[in-house]
Amino acid sequence: MEQPGGAPFSSGPAESPAAIIAAMRGRGQTNPERWVDEHGDLLFRYALVRVRRREVAEDLVQETLLSAMRSREKFAGQSSERSWLFGILKHKISDYFRELGRETSFTDLESLADEFSEKFVPEGYWVHVKGPKEWKPEADEVLHRAEFWQTMRNCLDKLPERIANVFMLREMEELESKEICSMLSISESNLWVMLHRARMALRECLEINWFNREK
Amino acid sequence: MATKTPTPNPRPADDTSLLQPHGWLQKILVWIVSEATPKCRDVVRILSEQMDHELPLITRWKLRLHFVACCWCERYMRQLHYLRETARHFPQHIGEVQGPALSPEARLRLKRVLNNP
Repeated sequence: MEQPGGAPFSSGPAESPAAIIAAMRGRGQTNPERWVDEHGDLLFRYALVRVRRREVAEDLVQETLLSAMRSREKFAGQSSERSWLFGILKHKISDYFRELGRETSFTDLESLADEFSEKFVPEGYWVHVKGPKEWKPEADEVLHRAEFWQTMRNCLDKLPERIANVFMLREMEELESKEICSMLSISESNLWVMLHRARMALRECLEINWFNREK
Repeated sequence: MATKTPTPNPRPADDTSLLQPHGWLQKILVWIVSEATPKCRDVVRILSEQMDHELPLITRWKLRLHFVACCWCERYMRQLHYLRETARHFPQHIGEVQGPALSPEARLRLKRVLNNP
């Protein structure tokens, strides 16, 4: 099934990288202007989820495409063009937060601090009837459900900005904790507190809006 | 001296914990587990930390013991892995998420910049 918004990341039938590049060059397909039409909207949409500001997201897409244009000779054709561009965008997002981390404090120990106190009795155990429910279907099955991704996006949007940022750096850009700490100039223990709150809130939001909705 | 009454906390039908406080022996075992391991409020914090760095062996054993009497924390741990597994696929599925497109002006500007880098 064709996905709305464009083809998925896979590069189709296996061909040798050299053959793919030769074919692309032959058809004039490395024309960067074409990237704007074919991948611009999706790059922009992801950047917007990450930075939440339209003008910053547009700048990141521009930097990504410029960077891709400069390094297009290095594109080995081992992945699809789109995943190559997304790889560059993820680096640009990391650079953006690294720069921002020098100017502003990323530590946020206030947001969501008491958000989940009603989930536990005073003795520290779960309020059993409000405890986590079994999640069905399994992760590999929801990957193919567009509604799941929409719910995930809505839940990410509800997270406080800095909490969402550290979560996405860790789980979407897949950076190590130490890397995030040095990037954002925050301590490891503060990062763990923020990640814990992000996971708790996201888990709760998905359970209410996706897993319980299914029943 | 007045003893503190525990907060009523009935176990729902979907309690799948291996050890449940149904008979006197089980009640004692559940009590031992709850005394020997961190409380759920701390377990969820520790479980999140486990996603980011390795825990000491003794802590890992305490978590395992805790799960014997607490299916909710065990589910919570599985769900943290579920979140990780799905979140890392999110960028690939961004096309399935509703969201704004580049404005015509931004599109034009991008093309202009790419033509005159």
